[in-house]
Amino acid sequence: MTGQTQATTVGQLPTPDGEDSRVAATLTRVVWFLCVVSVGVLALGLRGGGPWEIDGLVAVDGLTAVLWVTVTFVSGIVHSYSRRYMAGTRAIDRFFGRVFAFTLIVMVLVAADALALFVAAWLGMGLVMADLIGHVEGWPQARATAALSRRYFLASTGALAVALGTLWWHTGATTVSGVASALGEASGTVVLFAATALVLAAMIQSALVPFHTWLVASMTAPTPASALMHAGFVNAGGVLLVRFAPVVTVEGWFMLAVAVVGATSALSGKLLKTVRTDVKGQLGCSTVGQMGFMIMQAGLGFFGAAVTHLVLHGFYKGYQFLSSGSQVAHESPQSPTATDSAGPVGAVVIAATALAGGVLFAALTGKGTKLDSGLVLALLVVLTVLHAARDLVTRSALPASVRYGAVPLVALPAIGIYGVVYGTIEGLLGGLPGVGATAELTVVHGLVAAAFVATYLAIERGAYKHSQRLYVMLLNATQPPSETQLTATEEYNEY
Amino acid sequence: MSTDDAIHESIETAAQTVGSRWPLHSFVTANPLSGFEDQPFHEAVAAAADTLGSDGYPDADVFRRAWEDGRIDPDALRTTLREHGYESEPEATLDRMANAEEVVTAETATTASERVDAVLTKWLSAFLDQGQAKWPMPEREDGFYDAFRAVARHDGEIPDAEAIAELPDCPLDAIREQLVNDPVGEWPDIFEFHLAALPGWTGLLKQRADEGDAWQSAYPITMAGYLAVRLTLVDLFDAPRTPAEADGDDATADGAVPLPEIWLTAWEATYRSGLVAELTDASESIAETDEGDRPDAQLVFCIDTRSEIIRRHVEAAGDYETHGYAGFFGVPMRYEGHDSEVAVDACPPILDPQHRIADRPTDGEASRHAEHDRWTATREAAESVIGRLRSNAATAFSYVETTGAGYGAALAARTLVPGRVHDLLDAVDDRTPDDHAVWEPAVDHDPDHAHELPAGLTIEEKVEYAATAFELMGWEQFARLVVFTGHASQTANNPFDASLDCGACAGNPGGPSARVLAALCNDEAVRERLRDRGIDVPEDTYFLAGEHNTTTDEIELYADAVPETHADDLDALRGDLETARAGAAAERADDMGADGDAGRDTHRRAADWAETRPEWGLAGNAGFVVGPRELTDGLDLDARAFLHSYDWTTDDEGDALEAILTGPMVVTQWINAQYYFSTVDNAVFGSGSKVTHNPVGNVGVYQGNGGDLLTGLPLQSLMAADDEPYHQPLRLSTVVHAPVERVTDVLADNPEVAELLDNDWLHLTVVDPEQEHCAFHYAEDLEWTPISEETTPAQATAGTPSPADD
Repeated sequence: MTGQTQATTVGQLPTPDGEDSRVAATLTRVVWFLCVVSVGVLALGLRGGGPWEIDGLVAVDGLTAVLWVTVTFVSGIVHSYSRRYMAGTRAIDRFFGRVFAFTLIVMVLVAADALALFVAAWLGMGLVMADLIGHVEGWPQARATAALSRRYFLASTGALAVALGTLWWHTGATTVSGVASALGEASGTVVLFAATALVLAAMIQSALVPFHTWLVASMTAPTPASALMHAGFVNAGGVLLVRFAPVVTVEGWFMLAVAVVGATSALSGKLLKTVRTDVKGQLGCSTVGQMGFMIMQAGLGFFGAAVTHLVLHGFYKGYQFLSSGSQVAHESPQSPTATDSAGPVGAVVIAATALAGGVLFAALTGKGTKLDSGLVLALLVVLTVLHAARDLVTRSALPASVRYGAVPLVALPAIGIYGVVYGTIEGLLGGLPGVGATAELTVVHGLVAAAFVATYLAIERGAYKHSQRLYVMLLNATQPPSETQLTATEEYNEY
Repeated sequence: MSTDDAIHESIETAAQTVGSRWPLHSFVTANPLSGFEDQPFHEAVAAAADTLGSDGYPDADVFRRAWEDGRIDPDALRTTLREHGYESEPEATLDRMANAEEVVTAETATTASERVDAVLTKWLSAFLDQGQAKWPMPEREDGFYDAFRAVARHDGEIPDAEAIAELPDCPLDAIREQLVNDPVGEWPDIFEFHLAALPGWTGLLKQRADEGDAWQSAYPITMAGYLAVRLTLVDLFDAPRTPAEADGDDATADGAVPLPEIWLTAWEATYRSGLVAELTDASESIAETDEGDRPDAQLVFCIDTRSEIIRRHVEAAGDYETHGYAGFFGVPMRYEGHDSEVAVDACPPILDPQHRIADRPTDGEASRHAEHDRWTATREAAESVIGRLRSNAATAFSYVETTGAGYGAALAARTLVPGRVHDLLDAVDDRTPDDHAVWEPAVDHDPDHAHELPAGLTIEEKVEYAATAFELMGWEQFARLVVFTGHASQTANNPFDASLDCGACAGNPGGPSARVLAALCNDEAVRERLRDRGIDVPEDTYFLAGEHNTTTDEIELYADAVPETHADDLDALRGDLETARAGAAAERADDMGADGDAGRDTHRRAADWAETRPEWGLAGNAGFVVGPRELTDGLDLDARAFLHSYDWTTDDEGDALEAILTGPMVVTQWINAQYYFSTVDNAVFGSGSKVTHNPVGNVGVYQGNGGDLLTGLPLQSLMAADDEPYHQPLRLSTVVHAPVERVTDVLADNPEVAELLDNDWLHLTVVDPEQEHCAFHYAEDLEWTPISEETTPAQATAGTPSPADD
């Protein structure tokens, strides 16, 4: 050892002070505290407690507890992540203030019983989210994007206000629970009108086609705010339908229409995603599809499944956004997709695995055990497991144990976990009015199922890629408006 | 036809001003204004301001901060100001600069040009995508122009889009039709005007057309094709075709040197005088000392500024000698890793790769190979299954539902305990066979596997690369262990991870290059021929490769084949490297402003997905010292200087010096310019804040929703906070330890290097060991200004001193 001799320093750089925002630290702690409280409420709810009410104002029921846990968890993650990710950015305190305010407003929204409070929270949620989209001040494109989304959110609040105003005027009830119980005497046409307005509000909020533009053009938001948007904000459309299930389920055919609206978005969102070249744009299109699927589940009468979907999708999409920086890879122009054929043994394994998945799903969730709309959902599970199994079985480079064993070993427990989550949420939602009526099988269900199978095959075979018109149509449908794009980088003068 | 030639020539002229931009997956640190390097710096900056709307000097605020911190010598500044006819006090000139900056007004109305840009962005991103979209643009294989003609006719966003179907088959005809009313003499200006819009995309286009990589071969795009499309759109949208009349070249017309240039020069002079003063002192003292004893080991690091820290700590940990050499270790290869489908050019962008070297399995490790293959196949299969489940419309929904809970758990783990994630990665790493144990680069020449490049190296080439290395570094004795240490960073969730890897390897990890050179030097046949060239490698010297993790400062040694005889040396080295890591990590953590356990902090940064500043990279770089380590080994240069080993006493002909000044010095100047320009105008030359980045097409990022492509360094790589600069934007100051005449000779033989110096793109100072260790600063036209011990600049004895220099 020569020992440390003091070296002469030349041109020492200044040392950053590494100062931490106190607002950020405090709010992060408060959010995690709220999360713990929410888990407590959920636990009490599971043991049969509640609902707890302040008469005519708020009611904390099973749905509230589930969503509180979800939103405070996601928000807690976003807070903790942002403490490092946003470190050193200008206006970091305001960013945390907005994220925190958003969290509180959503907590109020899902607990609100008074119609007026519900609308106010809905409006507040939209305005704060628009501010988050335009968080980077002095950047014209961020301002334009915020203004665009604000218009959408005001429109959705308008539709909601019309719907709830109609219901109040018609039934005289001023609370969500009051509307549900008073609905029996209401006339069909008026309720249908309210239901239509409700669905419209939900479609805008959940960015369903054709209202998806605000979501695919929301990428001026800092990444954690996008995570919060895709894991929390867009779910409000589904929550709205569940809260007002008695209104929406007023007519069987209306539910069918909701299912078709959802399915349309589900399939087109996925198609839109295929032409995007930017990571966040792809995630945005994917959310359009996922939200469509959630609304479709609600339309099929599976409100519990819709809530389960929005919770689990929230985790998934939040993760995808927060890790969006890891997507840059050096690819080669031709990606080889040579696979071997499965062979007879393989075919049996594939079929058996897929069926096992479907049966397990049906047994755990009850979907698909009767001849009703649940069959559509069970079919998708079978398709997914089949797809995964086929992909692995045909890879001869893999050891046999992996080829034949991996999918059953991974997929079946995963379906099991889903079943448990679904069962829990379904149980918590048990008391909600209007929830739990699944639809009879109709021709339309058959058509929806056929559309999914056809899309599956089309994507597997790449058949749709022959139409240039379709390509251009999709490309244009996903384009953010030109005023929200930074074509001249000198306009980005944040620094 | 002659107009064809006119178009081609005009395009070529116009394209000069477009700075090439490399795809983000292999970040190449280039000077964004490389097309302007034939002009003096301040004129280039003014020209770029006209075409790109960029800012080429630090803001007055940045100068003020440096001034208040005492980083700009008041005397030097006052002298320089006076020389250029500015009689005001420094503070007053600062205020003048600050006032001049407040004229920026952002227009909000969408113009026709912006609509053209938006439509073009859409089609360029679709065409230039490198594997991100599942459904790529149809007809791409026909090239951009033809694909656009075929597909964009359906684009309802383009007015009168059917007209696109009528475009002529040849893009030159389309251009001619559009320019029918413009005199040929104005064509270059028109082309330049249109290439300067969307400079990010056109820069990528230029790089792709110039280099002709696999993507370009599969989906060709040309400048002419692009301009034909752009001019057509300009016509359809009725946007201006010719640039608006320039409203008077205010600052540059009179040839006066602008104020910021003077401040910058004074700031650079202040940094340099501190460095040069120390080096002249050191030069005197090393002249008196003799060659030391044989060290326990010698370690060669990249010239990268980050090596400066670890080298100090390695030397302090034991009897070790360290050297600096370009991190591609002199072997210009195209490298094909075992786990990658694509070959990468692991050499500086100023060189073309000469050899293709692929990984091959190591001998006698059959069972570990099988295990490794199974592991790799399983991992790839899992990734592919997930990818396909997510992308198919019918399976994505069930996939999300069944895996959602798992993603929830991952969210919590990666956000709340990021340090543990690193431990987990380490644990997985320990359980799977090491890649470097089962794979090694195949260096031997293989005549049967020539692709576009010959596979492997012939014996002559091997000897040449090995000899060059030792000659350039001025190597005289060999320890029992010699370690060639490449470097790579380790970061999570970072689109700019390649910018933190080895710049000399074109943004790739340097480990493979180190392995190649080590393999050559262990080759008995090579050693024998080296002896003939006067390089006597003792029998007991073993060459070893390693990789320096620049985020955590760990050095991984590829020691799988080290003979038993060297086992003890290796153990001792490993122990000391651990000591060095701890010391270096503590210094790094301090530079980050972190408190607490430095080792944990650097590990956390390496694995934390929420970390936007995993390490400082080359931020702070300002100097380049060419000379023996003895010159600098008593100094703490705070990772601001590139260090290249060189011994003037072993280089009588000046060949080694010439190689260093035309190779590594030019590359470091590019790196320095990238950091400089990204700092002074982060929006135009850098890529803005990471928090709103949106990676696109595997080639770059968007800010937010879309628009122009950004590929420069992000704000977080340069700034400690939005309002707190970390990198100090200084042009490179090279200091060479050699006789002045020898340097003059090299510059006389290499006019392109002299031109860079004459145009003030970098500075050069020589510490002459033959003239009583005096320092001479390069002035202009091969003339030198002697520097006295005081910092006040003295006048040259011969020739006219440049007014732009101190």
